[in-house]
Amino acid sequence: MRGILLAKFTTFIRKPWVFVLFTVMSIGFTLIIGYTEGNEDKITVPVAGAEEVRTGSIGKALEENEVYHFKWQEETDLKEIVRLGEAEAGIIIEETGYEMFIRVETPNVQLIEQTIANIYTEKIRENQVLELFQSETAAEEEAILTAYHESMDQPIFEITNDNFRNADSSQFDEGLHAIFGFTLFFVIYTIGYNVLPILIEKKEGIWDRMILSPLKKWEIYLANLVYSFFEGYLQIIIIFSVFHYLVGVDFQGGFAGILLIMLAYTFTIVSLGIFVTALVKNIQQFNAVLPILSVSMAMIGGAFWPLEIVQSDILLALAKLNPLTYGMEALNNLVLYNLPFEEILMPVSILILMGVIFMGVGIHLMEKIHI
Amino acid sequence: MLELIDITKKYKQTKAVKNMNMYIEKGEIVGLLGPNGAGKSTAISILSSLLEPTSGDVKFENKSMIKNPKSLRQIVGIVPQEIALYEDLSAEENMKFFGRIYRLKGKTLKNKISEVLEQIGLTDRRKDIVKTFSGGMKRRLNIGVAMLHDPEILIMDEPTVGIDPQSRNYILQTVKRLNKDRQMTVLYTSHYMEEVEYLCDRIYIMDKGNLIASGTKDEIKQILASENTISLKADHWNERFITNLRENPQIHQMKVDGNEIVLVVSKDVNIFSKLAHLAEEANVQLRAVDVKQVTLEDVFLHLTGRALRD
Ligand SMILES: Nc1ncnc2c1ncn2[C@@H]1O[C@H](COP(=O)(O)OP(=O)(O)O)[C@@H](O)[C@H]1O
Ligand SMILES: [Mg+2]
Repeated sequence: MRGILLAKFTTFIRKPWVFVLFTVMSIGFTLIIGYTEGNEDKITVPVAGAEEVRTGSIGKALEENEVYHFKWQEETDLKEIVRLGEAEAGIIIEETGYEMFIRVETPNVQLIEQTIANIYTEKIRENQVLELFQSETAAEEEAILTAYHESMDQPIFEITNDNFRNADSSQFDEGLHAIFGFTLFFVIYTIGYNVLPILIEKKEGIWDRMILSPLKKWEIYLANLVYSFFEGYLQIIIIFSVFHYLVGVDFQGGFAGILLIMLAYTFTIVSLGIFVTALVKNIQQFNAVLPILSVSMAMIGGAFWPLEIVQSDILLALAKLNPLTYGMEALNNLVLYNLPFEEILMPVSILILMGVIFMGVGIHLMEKIHI
Repeated sequence: MLELIDITKKYKQTKAVKNMNMYIEKGEIVGLLGPNGAGKSTAISILSSLLEPTSGDVKFENKSMIKNPKSLRQIVGIVPQEIALYEDLSAEENMKFFGRIYRLKGKTLKNKISEVLEQIGLTDRRKDIVKTFSGGMKRRLNIGVAMLHDPEILIMDEPTVGIDPQSRNYILQTVKRLNKDRQMTVLYTSHYMEEVEYLCDRIYIMDKGNLIASGTKDEIKQILASENTISLKADHWNERFITNLRENPQIHQMKVDGNEIVLVVSKDVNIFSKLAHLAEEANVQLRAVDVKQVTLEDVFLHLTGRALRD
């Protein structure tokens, strides 16, 4: 068994390209998608209005909005932009009300409308406050409003308006989500391409040679599994370490916990690899199946977007059969939601159970089909 | 020493081997000849305990090997049909790996590796990565790796496929020498009849899962003892001549191969005047008429109506 591992490691050192490629892709995609700042991740909404409205309190409130990027336009341009579908909605504002242009009713349109309505409601409240105090001068108004805002900051009861794009919301952190998602996704390839040699060695006869030697069959399997596990896990450690130590991502004290969870996930994916290898007839089939499997696992399991926004019952049912779902769930429960230990143990146990089943069935099939 | 008894192997659609019987005695070189898909690889996988037969028995020194093949496994070395090596390791590293799995280590392993490298003529390339080797060198290493644990019987599955003539000769010489110098028993599988004819004491011929002939070279050629193989040569043939030959009842088999036509005819008829007559009638200018030495190829043609290689 030591011999097999030695042969595998030597091959790895001479040909680390697959490993390097998927590690780099994993880190690269995460950086691009999870950690790009700026207006790109705000939705741009064109607005038009008279000069005094723009510089007034409504205009200021729009510019300070954290969710949308409101961009000043001429009224005619605005209508054109919306008509061409370059923006989902356009708004013409006046002192006392607003007019909204849309092309189709999308969920975003509702959120934009809600945001605008909130701004006007706030404005009305301010006016009511001002009326109440019957202020005369601009300085007086200023003082009253400041006092009002200060008192609102320490409210008797709080009304919060959240949506998941809101920066204050800790329920969905794009950066962490991207790290988790891409790591879980790309490691499927790394492990897949490490399990594949079993198929090649069987076909070419290396396996036959080992079977005829005094090596035990379990030693041959174990060596292959240990090696695939090692390489997959090494990739995971590298990726998380890069984000933890180099990029400086805060895993909320969960770094060690993440690595423990990933032990279970790596094991499950190695088992899944064995299972798939046992089912395919040749290397071409394996190469065709691996991307289909990994991409659909990533999509269904919530690696690319949070499962919370998935509505289809079929997809949600499929997600329950997908190891990646439980990997994401365990990581999210630990780092994002800070849930207690049992909530993490549950998905981890399911992962281990799935791993045992895939492994058992996979090895059984392999033994039955090839030799 | 080693026998297949009434072996059948069924896959889903095909019967790869049908009721096959075979034996190998100590010190022999036995040939297993047949075209692609004949069932040779399947037969030797069963013989080397890698594959369980659907029915029948494998016996080594009169003990069944189906349930407990341990004693057999210790003494066989196999040379798979594909190159069963780690392509990213050097020749020496491959040998170390395959030696270690047989529990060889230290000085014993080192000496053995040097000895085998010498035999297969790769001593000066020992440090090179297998990927950089030519087809012939890979084939030689593929054989060398099977000899590290001093097997008593070497089972070789088409060890010369796809290589240059020099490497091929080298391999044939090596096999012959191993047999002579160390009394190594060899089962040699091939679809090249010249190789089998050159190397082997006894030969089995397979086609479509069936054993169609077996025995020593001379015994097998006896199958054609009552027949002659005649070769005709001309610059070109015409339809009429070929049809006439085909319709002649004294001609048992014929094969047209470019400028040459090979005929199998009964020994007791005098066909030559007949051939001359047919040629004249069809206006074909015969350039040569030869009675050929019987080859295994002819036997195969006789038994199956097809050429060994397609
Ligand atoms: N694992 C397998 N599953 C199904 N059919 C097989 C398998 N292995 C071999 N065969 C079939 O059995 C026949 C004999 O194959 P094989 O023993 O490889 O022939 P040879 O070595 O003489 O070329 C072929 O028709 C082949 O397609
Ligand atoms: Mg074969």
